[in-house]
Amino acid sequence: MAAMMSDSTRTAAAIAAHRFGLGEASLDAIAGDPQGWLGAQIGPADSARGEGLLSTEQAVELVHAEAEKRRLARNPPPGTTAEQVLAGHYRETMLADARSRLVTASATRRPFAERLQLFWANHFTVSVTKGSTRGLVGAFERDAIRPHIAGSFETLLWSSTTHPAMLRYLDNHLSAGPHSRIVARAARRSQVMQEGPRVSGLNENLAREVLELHTLGVDGGYTQADVTAFAALLTGWRIGNGPGGDATAALPFDPAWHEPGRKTVLGRSYPEGAEALRRVVADLARHASTGRFIATKLARHFVADDPPTELVDRLATTYARSDGQLGEVYRELLRSREAWAPRPAKLKTPEEFVVSSARLLDLGERATARNPLASDIGASLAALGQRPHSPPSPAGWPDRAEDWLGPEAVWKRIEWAHRVGDRIGRSIDARALARASLGPLIGESSLQQIERAADGPQAVALLLMAPEFQRR
Amino acid sequence: MRTPFNPARRMLMRAALSAGALGPLATLSFAGTSSPGSNRFVMVILRGGMDGLYAVPAVGDPEFAPARGALAQYASTPLPLDAMFALHPNLVQLHAMYGRGESSVVHAVGLPYHERSHFDAQQVLESGGTRPYELTSGWLGRALGAGPAKGLALSTTVPLVLRGPGIVDTWAPSTLPDPSADLVTRLERMYGSDPALATALARAKALHFDTTMMAEVNGAAAPTAGDAAARPGGFVALAQRAAEFLSQSSGPKVAVLELGGWDAHANEAAPNGATANNLRTLDAGLAALREGLLAGRVWRDTVVVVATEFGREVAINGTLGCDHGSGGAAFVLGGAIKGGRVLTDWPGLGRKDRFEGRDLRTTTDLRAVLKGVLGDHLRLSARSLDGDVFPGSDAVRAMAVMA
Repeated sequence: MAAMMSDSTRTAAAIAAHRFGLGEASLDAIAGDPQGWLGAQIGPADSARGEGLLSTEQAVELVHAEAEKRRLARNPPPGTTAEQVLAGHYRETMLADARSRLVTASATRRPFAERLQLFWANHFTVSVTKGSTRGLVGAFERDAIRPHIAGSFETLLWSSTTHPAMLRYLDNHLSAGPHSRIVARAARRSQVMQEGPRVSGLNENLAREVLELHTLGVDGGYTQADVTAFAALLTGWRIGNGPGGDATAALPFDPAWHEPGRKTVLGRSYPEGAEALRRVVADLARHASTGRFIATKLARHFVADDPPTELVDRLATTYARSDGQLGEVYRELLRSREAWAPRPAKLKTPEEFVVSSARLLDLGERATARNPLASDIGASLAALGQRPHSPPSPAGWPDRAEDWLGPEAVWKRIEWAHRVGDRIGRSIDARALARASLGPLIGESSLQQIERAADGPQAVALLLMAPEFQRR
Repeated sequence: MRTPFNPARRMLMRAALSAGALGPLATLSFAGTSSPGSNRFVMVILRGGMDGLYAVPAVGDPEFAPARGALAQYASTPLPLDAMFALHPNLVQLHAMYGRGESSVVHAVGLPYHERSHFDAQQVLESGGTRPYELTSGWLGRALGAGPAKGLALSTTVPLVLRGPGIVDTWAPSTLPDPSADLVTRLERMYGSDPALATALARAKALHFDTTMMAEVNGAAAPTAGDAAARPGGFVALAQRAAEFLSQSSGPKVAVLELGGWDAHANEAAPNGATANNLRTLDAGLAALREGLLAGRVWRDTVVVVATEFGREVAINGTLGCDHGSGGAAFVLGGAIKGGRVLTDWPGLGRKDRFEGRDLRTTTDLRAVLKGVLGDHLRLSARSLDGDVFPGSDAVRAMAVMA
């Protein structure tokens, strides 16, 4: 019972709920053992909630079907228009995926695991802002990220790098070995047709971003020659654009596109063929720069925009000692004194803000029902500057307060909080909720403003916009 | 519920201010001290690495066609600039400005940074340093300094280039209802212990509740229907809004616009592909900016610089695109410049002429262009340019783009 708990335990419970989780309406279930509550969540993320969700195989089939539709639309059958042929282009799948992401986060009982899933989905960004990735992004999260967030980083890196969404997002499906069979074939054909070959060689996009953004980090010690060699090694890892691409093959690897011969990446020589990627992934996952890069990003995400060096050092050491076992790194984070400082250093992202609001106001379980807030939660996020599944670049959404603190960004949060208060504020006691959810973390000044609010809706808006709820 | 602006609401805000309840930050909202007719500057950042050789082909260089292969083929003839250079056929209005002496091209221009990371290169482009993360504020933010001239970012957050000691507003179209002034006043009290949130709120409030600014913005013509780029929040619409803000005598003097999507790794020359559409959008946005500033009678006082974090490799890659490179192209436009010129120390396109055998070699430091504009147009002293704004750039001589 709340009354029987010490203030320090309730502070720890509030930190567990808000800094490591996605916010809770009440701390009662956590307050007995905040650390234990978090530790017990270390494992694969929950299965995604929602309807109309495709497996990776189904999503790949959809991509092929859409490609076929586009081919058909160039020459529509008699009595139809191109628009009719193309109608519904990925729309339902993208909507279902976005809704599922928000509903799952709003309803989960394992919010720490969900935060880690969101963290890794952002680390390994794929985005619907690129047309070739549409239809695959939700399946990527469900199949490549969710099951692997607490296993070895090597497994996570492998499942991300070889997923069709990543292969297409970073153009690897177009990259061909300059001496591959497909390039030779295209060159012969183009001689006959007297036009330039459609495919002729490497595209470095995936190779560069795996090194820069997924593993070593930009200063992690690789050269342009490493990028080029890694790109050659990655050729063949692709799913095709249309029927004929083999969606049922065990691996999305097509030897006809692969560059023959050995390649040297970061001083190590790798053989020709699909197996090389598995070895590079294993070596990259064990590289000291990777451990340091992951440790820094995790500490930045959970503790502070500029995390304490000692904390990063400890996480990197744990990463190295455990051979990249992510669960061990999370446990070290939870054991760290720096992670439990009462003053919140991090500003919530718009998505964390909206999801934690839904959880605070207990809309999570009802989010699937006909709830006005849930139905346009995706549109809300777009207005707040973080449209689901649409990060602007392969670097993902930024993870520093200054990137979310523009005047207009804060203004939009106020507008949104105002509207939420208007819709449901009349039935909520924001004063009691502030104490139950934030415990000792809510300051006197904020409590006073909430108590003096003109009415219920305004009190809810003030609670959502309180510094103690905007930060974590 | 949308509350239309009315004078009573402003009275309420002012009453709250005079009661001294809001702290010193909020009083900045009403500081409109700049004199009318002072000079304007717009920075347009193209994110993703615009291919300078594709946007501004060196058609007169005998190495151009063989080096570029399929990327030397255009759906229609590139628009000629001089014997050597042309513009991509989608840059029609920029070409017309060139003909009127209102725009120039800077070619083989780039940063002191030559690695090929988007994110590090953008950090250098915006911070004005020589290495990534050596500086944490932006050159334009530092150029504004703590002076009275305000900066404006047409986005929800402040891009790095504008971060610094000065006043920066952000503006983006809203799809949500305006909150009441009362709620905002209470939040200002609540943010007493959180300076970062307090500052953001004070600036946002000034933009949303200031009569002159809002009345003029709300009275602006709606964007042309059916034009995707002119949709609310699109580049063309934001360029129109930027022109409206810059035309106000007490409005911002400096604005930043951004256009992403230039990372042309594949199918770069597709007639309706991402790059072709982006060039069309850029062209329409720059034309909208010019038109709005002409209407506000400040085009003659304006300089616009359009730049990107890096150019792309000279040779086409295996997927009909180009991988990351270094040197590229930038544009300078405005009623205040001496345009109609291609400013370049052309390095050539032969393999030995390229940087690391790959990229168009950078022969002009972008900071030379920016120092020229900030010095000659915004009247920053050489000392301040070499000291605060672009530290360590003493050896980079300002380029004369104004005369």
